[in-house]
Amino acid sequence: MSDKEEMKSMSCIEFGEILHDLDRAGTHAMALRERALAHAESCAPCAQLLTEAESLDQALHAIATAEGEQEAPAWVESALLREFRIAKSSTRSTNLGRHAAALGIAAAVLLAAGVSIHRFGPGTKVAGNGPGSVAGVSTPAPTNEVAQNVAESASDFVALPYADDPDGTEGGTVVRVELSGAALASLGMPVSLAGSSGSISADLLVSDDGTPQAIRLVSQETAGEEF
Amino acid sequence: MASGSRQEPEMTKVTELTDDGLLARMIAGDEEAFTLLYRRRHPSIYRFALHMSGNATVAEDVTQEVFMTLIRDPKRFDPARGSLAGFLFGVARNFLKKRWEQDRRLVALDGDANDIGERASAGDAARNGASRNGFHANGNGWASAAGADEFATRETISRVRSAVATLPENYREIVVLCDLEEMSYEEAAAALGCPVGTVRSRLHRARAILLDKLREAHTARRVPAVGT
Repeated sequence: MSDKEEMKSMSCIEFGEILHDLDRAGTHAMALRERALAHAESCAPCAQLLTEAESLDQALHAIATAEGEQEAPAWVESALLREFRIAKSSTRSTNLGRHAAALGIAAAVLLAAGVSIHRFGPGTKVAGNGPGSVAGVSTPAPTNEVAQNVAESASDFVALPYADDPDGTEGGTVVRVELSGAALASLGMPVSLAGSSGSISADLLVSDDGTPQAIRLVSQETAGEEF
Repeated sequence: MASGSRQEPEMTKVTELTDDGLLARMIAGDEEAFTLLYRRRHPSIYRFALHMSGNATVAEDVTQEVFMTLIRDPKRFDPARGSLAGFLFGVARNFLKKRWEQDRRLVALDGDANDIGERASAGDAARNGASRNGFHANGNGWASAAGADEFATRETISRVRSAVATLPENYREIVVLCDLEEMSYEEAAAALGCPVGTVRSRLHRARAILLDKLREAHTARRVPAVGT
């Protein structure tokens, strides 16, 4: 069988199956193009189909060419950039909030570690900066007896994560409270380090407006000795 | 001046980043990366929405919504499941479907009312040249009636555009992607989230429907109205 006869051997069904891929790069039909054209040369209906398909291709290509430069108007990009900036600033605020909470928790861990050393160390007393000096907090002089009594046995105050003005506690009040482990845990305190399964003594530093600003754990042993 | 010369290579690097690279920088808050990504990808999304809806306002809204989604929830894009372009087309399709559910009259069936490019001119068509294989059948088909060189006239293009607009949605999107956006089968498959074979078979069916519609339109034009 000659090459020409092989080309003519393509059936109309085969021709129809590859008709729309004849000019499509990367398709199997590209390899069969010569055979398809040879078939169309000898088959009027398929030649008609080929012409129609090519005309359709041309029209579609003309549309694609004419409209290929179409873009959304500039206001869409402006609106999106505004949205992007809003999203970015909101993400930044969230990150700052998380950062502050993380710092608070880290401070609480340090505090708890200090208490632990005080309670379980070989006769170690926590060397605080004195009753009026608090880690990260400017503490007022103790204003009640409780605070004075526990000052030597408690570690430094730690600002609460949500404290709105930890530096503005001049004239504030120190209040002794008994809190459950769960309540302390909700404040980010590692209660397991505090070594208590029941209620735990703590001092709250409360500002003039009644908002708790800082907290310190009080050794129960020491509290028991002093009360 | 020295600082300017230092900035230039940096700019080149940013513009040469892949979509995924730009997205990573965008997520980190880089506005320039977002702008580049938008300018790179939005034209095809806009044209896709325009061809699918036949309405410029809808296309603008869909384009905006697609990139809003990217800004608000970039983690929705999973590189393991396909390209970013495919993801964006998928989001655009979803928005279009929602719009169609809200208003089923979005597609302008009348070519005259169609927002899509009234710019397709005979001049544009002429640039595309004549029939590529040199065949000019002499039958009564719509393509052969006027001669190959005249197929791509404004009128023919308008008829083809109208025929595309009246295709069923699943066929229309294939024609838009493969023939108007000139994507490969693989790219279209990625954009539509379906196998390459499905793209190919749908495109063939879509083009067969288009040819039928064009023949019908041609016949209707040739047959005079009854009673005249």
